[in-house]
Amino acid sequence: MPWRTGHRRLGAAETRGLLGEPDPETRLKILDHLDRNCLTFIAHSPFCCMATADASGATDCTPRGDYPGFVRALDERTLLIPDRLGNKLGDSFSNIVENPHVGLLFFVPGVVETLRVNGRAYVTDDGDLRTMLEQDDVRPELATLVEVDEAYLHCGRSLLRSRLWEDDMRDLAQEIPSPGTFWADAAATEGLDAERLDRLFDDGYQELY
Amino acid sequence: MMTRAGGRLLTVTGIDRPARDIVALHLADPAGGPLPEWEPGAHIDVQLITRHLRQYSLCGSPDDRTGYRIAVLRERLSRGASAYVHSYLDVGKKVRVWEPRNHFGLRPAERYVFLAAGVGITPILPMVMRAREAGVPWRLAYSVRTLEEAAFRDELAELGEAVTLRATGTGGRLDLGGFVGDLREGTGVYCCGSPGFVEAAEKAVAGWPEGSFHAERFVPVPRDFGPSEPFVAVCARSDVRVRVDAGVGLLAALRREGVRVAGGCLKGVCGSCAVTVLDGVPQHRDSLLGPGTLDRMHACVSRAATPEIVLDV
Repeated sequence: MPWRTGHRRLGAAETRGLLGEPDPETRLKILDHLDRNCLTFIAHSPFCCMATADASGATDCTPRGDYPGFVRALDERTLLIPDRLGNKLGDSFSNIVENPHVGLLFFVPGVVETLRVNGRAYVTDDGDLRTMLEQDDVRPELATLVEVDEAYLHCGRSLLRSRLWEDDMRDLAQEIPSPGTFWADAAATEGLDAERLDRLFDDGYQELY
Repeated sequence: MMTRAGGRLLTVTGIDRPARDIVALHLADPAGGPLPEWEPGAHIDVQLITRHLRQYSLCGSPDDRTGYRIAVLRERLSRGASAYVHSYLDVGKKVRVWEPRNHFGLRPAERYVFLAAGVGITPILPMVMRAREAGVPWRLAYSVRTLEEAAFRDELAELGEAVTLRATGTGGRLDLGGFVGDLREGTGVYCCGSPGFVEAAEKAVAGWPEGSFHAERFVPVPRDFGPSEPFVAVCARSDVRVRVDAGVGLLAALRREGVRVAGGCLKGVCGSCAVTVLDGVPQHRDSLLGPGTLDRMHACVSRAATPEIVLDV
């Protein structure tokens, strides 16, 4: 029997029973907008992950990164996310047009807490909004506008346990196959060899906007 | 994200609001040391902790070596830096600053006419002060949409009748032709403002002697250079030859090959990316240099007029 099946599946009550109840104060930190602290976090964050789902609920989680503050808070309920040069698969966009719900997790290097922002998004090509997202003289073609429903700081234990920001953790990187290896192994197609694909990555990485 | 070598961290020692939507930042060496000298018209590159790099005119006094003053407009469609400065920069925070540069220097003249619009007053103000100290006759027209947008009004008020402050929202546009007058010989005209304002000023001095008119621009002069041709940049110091294809800029092509060149506005208005030309002919597409300049070029937008150009990079 494969590992992924056959185990006891818990329902909500059993799961809650094992997890325990949160402190009553914990829920108080959940805001329905971005307060000054959240705005400050986002204004200094160079990286976030964005979770989206299609109409059926199948999810994608994608990384977004740029200059700190690249996700622009237009006001306390509105975020603007640029679409920078990527692989053009557009998974997040095809999800958002089917299902507006998005979950964002913002990181600031050196800070163990992360900022969680949930909301509803749409994709736009509005000229003014794209102008505000111009970077290195390149204006993105698309932008994602997020109406904020929830925002709160997530505690730092996971980043403390993982020692994510510690320099000595970087020795892990050498154990990871190159991106060309990932691609070549996944594609298993003649002509797509890892070395060639790595060169494509290297070239592509020279052009960030 | 561009990281740029050099520069020094300066502390924000004061912030005030010389007009609605403008903050003035006072910057000083954290150790209290003197700052590099500058002349009216100079600007500095300022890099925020967010790594956004922008150019701001120095609008304090060149005689004050202990601090710089710059003014930052809150832009409705800020691309990040202006919004950050207005929302998050505080006294005690630090910014990275490079040596002042000047493409807008005040040249000797028998009299000066200064034309400023909006936040364009920033490079003009030290020029006015310099002219006044030197005892050279001058007058200033300062155009704003509303009086609340007029910066440094206290300082300007002390200068008396030589200043014409015009709120175009209520008072209509300035008659720039009438203001500059017709005493063309020996008059230096210095202008800074929106593209429309600079264009209007340029029209007002049409036919004046060569070298009478000087403008500082925030956006490039729109010009058509025809199709871009590929060329080869020979990098003398790095000992590499870089092919610059038609669709690629010189700065981008150099960086791709690992040749480090500073970048600034990337639009050909700030001059941060100047490189020395050793051989070949540059085709200047920036708003600073003309065809007469053969020994340097701005790599962000300019190209080569010869199949090869040799650069000291």
